[in-house]
Amino acid sequence: MRIIKDTNIDFMKQMRIGFILSGVIILLGLASLLLHGGPKLSIDFEGGTMVAVHFTEEMDVNDIRNSLNNVNVEGRTYDYSKQEIKHFGTPSSISVRLSSQEEEHGNIAQAVIDHLYNAFPENVPEDTQDFILSIEKVGPKVGAELSGKVIMAIISALGLILIYISIRFEFKFALGAIAALAHDILITLGIFSILGLEISLPIIAAFLTIVGYSLNDTIVIFDRIRENIKTRRRDDYLTIINSSINESLSRTIVTSLTTFFVVMILWLFGGEVIHNFAFAMMVGVIVGTYSSIYVASPIVALLHTKQK
Amino acid sequence: MNKKLTPRYIIIAIILAWAAYALWPSISFQQMSEEKKETLREAGKLKVIESKIIKQGLDLKGGMYIVLEVDLPILISGLAINKDKSLENTLNKVTDRLNEPDADFFNLFTSISKEDNLRLARYFHEYGASTEEIISKLRDESDDAINRVLEILQNRVDQFGVAEPTIQKQGSQRIIVELAGIQDSERARDLLQSTALLEFYLVKDAEITQDMLTRVDNILKGNEDLADVAAELSEQTEPQEEKVEQLVSDDKTITVSELFGDTVQESAVSEDTSVVVDQRLFVNSPFSSLLRDFDRDLGVPESNVYTVNKILALPEVEQLLESTSSKFALSNKAQELTDASGNQIKIYRLYHLENEPELTGGVISDAKENISGTGSDIAGQPVVLVEMNSDGTKQWSRITGANINRRIAIVLDNKVHMAPNIIEKIPSGGTRIQGFADLNEAKDIAIVLRAGALPVPVQIIEERIVGPSLGADSIRQGTRSVIIALIIVMIFMLIYYKIAGSIANFALIWNMILVLSILALLQATLTLPGIAALILTMGMSIDANVIVFERIREELRKGKTARAAIDAGYNRAITTIVDANVTTVIAALVLYQFGTGPIKGFATVLFWGIAISMFTAIFVTRTIFMSMTNRKNLQKLSI
Repeated sequence: MRIIKDTNIDFMKQMRIGFILSGVIILLGLASLLLHGGPKLSIDFEGGTMVAVHFTEEMDVNDIRNSLNNVNVEGRTYDYSKQEIKHFGTPSSISVRLSSQEEEHGNIAQAVIDHLYNAFPENVPEDTQDFILSIEKVGPKVGAELSGKVIMAIISALGLILIYISIRFEFKFALGAIAALAHDILITLGIFSILGLEISLPIIAAFLTIVGYSLNDTIVIFDRIRENIKTRRRDDYLTIINSSINESLSRTIVTSLTTFFVVMILWLFGGEVIHNFAFAMMVGVIVGTYSSIYVASPIVALLHTKQK
Repeated sequence: MNKKLTPRYIIIAIILAWAAYALWPSISFQQMSEEKKETLREAGKLKVIESKIIKQGLDLKGGMYIVLEVDLPILISGLAINKDKSLENTLNKVTDRLNEPDADFFNLFTSISKEDNLRLARYFHEYGASTEEIISKLRDESDDAINRVLEILQNRVDQFGVAEPTIQKQGSQRIIVELAGIQDSERARDLLQSTALLEFYLVKDAEITQDMLTRVDNILKGNEDLADVAAELSEQTEPQEEKVEQLVSDDKTITVSELFGDTVQESAVSEDTSVVVDQRLFVNSPFSSLLRDFDRDLGVPESNVYTVNKILALPEVEQLLESTSSKFALSNKAQELTDASGNQIKIYRLYHLENEPELTGGVISDAKENISGTGSDIAGQPVVLVEMNSDGTKQWSRITGANINRRIAIVLDNKVHMAPNIIEKIPSGGTRIQGFADLNEAKDIAIVLRAGALPVPVQIIEERIVGPSLGADSIRQGTRSVIIALIIVMIFMLIYYKIAGSIANFALIWNMILVLSILALLQATLTLPGIAALILTMGMSIDANVIVFERIREELRKGKTARAAIDAGYNRAITTIVDANVTTVIAALVLYQFGTGPIKGFATVLFWGIAISMFTAIFVTRTIFMSMTNRKNLQKLSI
């Protein structure tokens, strides 16, 4: 069985359309990022408290919100109704995110849990331990440190990849690959911003995996280009790039499809904790496949013509 | 059988056998019934098996992950002799800047004390003369302190009884504690965080206390901050005022005690003895109006605790307390009272103590929790019985003998548990501490007292708790995803590449088994992101095969024979596969380097998944193809 028969698509001719399409999507994402004042960061980076609890029945977020307007934390009353409250996976689970406060005293997470447990006595499991799904508390210092680490991680990953590709191929290939990666990350980040999804630590892991995956795709095509340059010295550069993409197209499609299905299954069945991670991967697989054809390869071609 | 292939078969067989051996404990453990586990545990064999199986991360089995940070400023200030304001100022500046990422306490301390022209030798002359010498000695001291903290925490957790706890140092200032399947997170948190500093303080006389209250009142009256405090206060207490009024007018136990002077008593009585804060009273005696008379102590309604603490922390008040060598401390728990309309109010006790403890917990030789027997006034309540060593016994007998009829406060981590009257000299050193919510709390306090006080306080700076039900959900959903993904991918490969596809599927299963056995061998922890990585690995493993198969198809189309096409396909594909996967390996290594718990789990699985998928795609499937083409009559390849 073959999905892709021998093709001869002039990908390089569509270069301009590709650039415009990518540019528009990236600009939309950037606009959203600008509008929201940067990506929406999770408590991993911003510090704060996040509580998830499980009720026995479906709960209305507004009821929860109203009940949280007077939470007693060691004698002082706080209004948490304006904090981020939403469903956690299922309609019967609720997560509450509390931003870190200047003067934090007492155990806020426990106070919120106790408050919710007592506020809806009809809808809670008998055992308090079944009520608590998760508690996460990150001090502002830890969050700030993590942000620094993540930036270092992304820079060092990109740097190492740049070096590796420069050694194995040529510098212009490395530039093409890095441009494709930046493209993938920007688009995924933009989509997350538009959809109002949080950037948490697992999402950063997803980003780095997208980097790895997108490169994987790009390098398979580069590899073909490298091989064809050696064997077909008479053909001009654009033709070689075009036929290299066409020759590896079948593999690109098959791999992208299987990987896409695999992460889609994770997205559908993996559960709430991993839901957004899988979503980032799904976006990454599509964008990564696209960018290796329409971003990485054309940039190599452009750089090559400039060299001459 | 072809001779050339024999070494390949042998290698594959050895690896398969090894994988089965490595995975066997995990599989048999999974199948084991709880009773079997219990018998093995009793025989002491369970630990051996557990060390050979794939560990589940806290996000899968539920549990608690806590990062504690040692309070270095307090440690250093405790080591200093001739402490004064300028050292305190410098330390405060350091503390403020410690929140910057990658801040190192000692570097900051060195640079800021230089800025402030603080001569460290003044405070730390026993550690050396030059700043460098002192700092390096202080570093040693802090290392020593954190090692002792580690040991004490280990001890506490062991006695608490949690299965496979992990306690490890991170950097120079932090300790990571992981407790699996913990049922009561609040209890565990208290157990880890409590300094367990037990102190015995004499309680100041009532008259001195009253005098002190008046003096604090006077300070506040002339203080500009008062306006802020007052504003905050009225905002906080207004809604509760009414309730309390009802409460007190109904509750006969709350009477104005002789602790308050006559004037206060009068005004208080005329105000119905009652309100927590009366605005008129507040102007004249801002501090004492926050307090109530409670038995023979000062009471602080829960809603006023915050303000009282804030007032006590004012520099002027601190100065006053210091000059009279006294301090205030709250009781560890509040007493609940119910008024006629069923409203509950909690009242803490406030004690006025001598500044220096008479005796500290270092003298404790043993501590046991117990239920107080019948016949005593606290029958049925949980207590902790403390034994002292000979030195402690001697001191305790001297202190109690010299202070008959005075009250002595038993203070644990700055909270007063009780303040009984000394009726007679206690020669034995045995002491009973009461004031616990339940037996569990008494048990935990006994544990921390036995394990000893931490040399320096610790703070929780990060905490992640996964409840058992969420963990179970994650396992269920993760496993289901793996199985569904596996089935769909295998069906696709079978349809698309036929027999070659089934070879790829064989390699895929092989791949999964090998990754899991490496995890078991490395005693790595499988986390939820790890399961995600396992699924991604499937994609990678399939990809390597797809690259090879597409290449073989190309070669076949060029008219090559099956055997030549396979050889050419593999040879050409190898560089592509290696180049393409090395970049993902780079990403995985970077993730491993900077990641914490779950992310590390993801990186580990991703790394091994890629490494193994390259091996299976290049080595194992090729061997199968080679043995197929060796059969002479093979003309057509099913691909």
